[in-house]
Amino acid sequence: MLQLLIQILMNGLMMGLVYIMMALGFTLIFGIMRIVNFAHGEFYMLGAMAVMLLFSTLGINYFAAVLLAAIIVAVIGMVIERLLLRQFVGRELNGMIMTLAIAITLKAGATIIFGPQEMSIPRPVSGVTNIAGILIPNDRMLVGAIAIAILVLFYFFLRYARAGLAMRAVAQDWEAAALQGIRPQRIYLLSFGIGCALAGLAGALMAPIYTVSPFIGEVPMLKAFIVVILGGLGSLPGAVVGGLLLGVVEAGVATFINTTVATMVSFALVVVILLFRPAGLMGQSR
Amino acid sequence: MKRNKFKRLAATIGGAVVALGTALSPAMAQETLVIGTISALNGPGSEWGRGVDAGTRIAVAEINAKGGLVVGDTTYMIEVKSYDDGYKPAEGVAAATRLIEQDGVKFILGPLGSASALAVKPIFEEEGVLALMNSYSPKTLANNPKYVYRVLPTTTEYVNQIVGWVKENNPDLSNVAVISPNDQTGWDSQKMQVQAYGDAGFEIVGKELFERSSVDFQSIITRLMATSPDIIELDTTPPSTAGLIIRQARELGFEGLFVKIGGPGVPAIVEAAGKEFAEGTIVYAAADTSAEKYQWMEEEYAKIYSPPMNAFNVFFYDAAHLLFASMQKAGTVTDPDAVRDTLVTMTPFEGAQGALVWGGMENYGNNNQLIGPTFIGMISDGEEKIIGRVEAN
Repeated sequence: MLQLLIQILMNGLMMGLVYIMMALGFTLIFGIMRIVNFAHGEFYMLGAMAVMLLFSTLGINYFAAVLLAAIIVAVIGMVIERLLLRQFVGRELNGMIMTLAIAITLKAGATIIFGPQEMSIPRPVSGVTNIAGILIPNDRMLVGAIAIAILVLFYFFLRYARAGLAMRAVAQDWEAAALQGIRPQRIYLLSFGIGCALAGLAGALMAPIYTVSPFIGEVPMLKAFIVVILGGLGSLPGAVVGGLLLGVVEAGVATFINTTVATMVSFALVVVILLFRPAGLMGQSR
Repeated sequence: MKRNKFKRLAATIGGAVVALGTALSPAMAQETLVIGTISALNGPGSEWGRGVDAGTRIAVAEINAKGGLVVGDTTYMIEVKSYDDGYKPAEGVAAATRLIEQDGVKFILGPLGSASALAVKPIFEEEGVLALMNSYSPKTLANNPKYVYRVLPTTTEYVNQIVGWVKENNPDLSNVAVISPNDQTGWDSQKMQVQAYGDAGFEIVGKELFERSSVDFQSIITRLMATSPDIIELDTTPPSTAGLIIRQARELGFEGLFVKIGGPGVPAIVEAAGKEFAEGTIVYAAADTSAEKYQWMEEEYAKIYSPPMNAFNVFFYDAAHLLFASMQKAGTVTDPDAVRDTLVTMTPFEGAQGALVWGGMENYGNNNQLIGPTFIGMISDGEEKIIGRVEAN
């Protein structure tokens, strides 16, 4: 039984790390720009498509392909921010509708270019690691390790880098930040690019583990949404806590009951949080 | 000189009169016949859905290339209107309504998938639109439908024979876990699988349902592994998803046999699972992929959609030909009742894989089920090898 519980915990943690990467970008964009990015799942999909082209089709080294995929998605995100979203910063409803339109367009565009079918990518690593009877597929372990490294990097970036500090300042009060010489427009561009890069990175990392199609962004987007509601919209530590919580709860309920109940429980958690702590576990009421 | 001029004028007028007469003559009239297809063209299950559309289109292209469909005194060039239902009932209803109301279509191939099929069935029955569809739910043929016919053999038709074959060839295996999609298709087909495996002497140790959008099955597999199954039956799980389940189960240490007595799709299974993990999987093959006709169809399919072609393509290719042959014999393309009355008398009909007949009275109380030969395949070195043939019920 203990072995089963540890296996469930490991399954949940692995999923939780991916949820965190999705949710971090989502909550970063909202925290700084006050835009609920409904196209976040499509940036995940673009990351997967990019790695498929770079690694599977062009034969570029997998790690280089993942990095390039994240950069490509970041650039696409920054172009979209500059051309379509800049004017909606702080206007939550309009921004939300614009991101919905972007999501539909990106999905349709990917369908036209790549076709609607599900595609598979060769896995860069295979095999399973057995630690005292707990089985962890090597590809998932690699994703988990990269996700942890990125989280640590992201933490230090926000805490110590000038750009990271500027992002936090704009998130707290853009007018006060502007008075200190920070140009909020640049920060919007940067944070949207980083948010998209994180989603693209998650997609690029998960592409060889799952299948790739223009529609793969829908579920991760939904999970990101649940995670940020749990953790608190705009709260980065909240995204980490929410991601791990969702991953472990889902894995536990899905294993002991079933996946349908696991989905219900994750939404029930959202309902409870919204009723009793609307700002989320670690968010602050405005 | 004048005489020659007169002759030329007379010849011109004569030619024009003949041409006009030809154009107006009912014996040579040419019109357009529009038929519809409804199926999932996107997302999980679209491997099968594209088979509905492409199978129909290949048959249509064949007929159009020969000059069209001759019905009575009229030659019809056939046009296909295709709608995507995404395997969802609401979109199936929207597609059916658009085909009937906007496009004026009276003959439809599809939908495919129980949820969508059961949602549109009352519409076809009420509107008198003849539909050749597929659905794994027995409810599709319940209450003796007048306009709904099923053109694929379903789990009911072949599950007992294939499970019997599995038992005969693997007498040491006893515990079976069944994984199916969590919708009408999965509920109905899982019920049949459980019954068939039980009847064959297997013990059912797990019954799992998953959402079609799922890509991570670690939790389900972790639970199943605790029940020590010898066989994991993948039932009507879409091929790519089945491949993911196989891969994730093998990674979590499952060493037993995978069987998939549901929709076919070996290329997508192998692509998602990897050759090594997919090796030895027993599959319902639907068609003999080594047959010459099948390979010709694959070439035609590649002109419409990206390969690989799914074996479901064959059934809708045959169904479309059966429908057009019925129209010719009935002498109408506008009267679904007359075409239906002829359709039911058209079998045995020589399909791409062998003779097709109408049947199903024992299971459904009517003969609205098209039945043909069924094949058993095994995945070997990433390819489907046909290892058995059973006659469907």
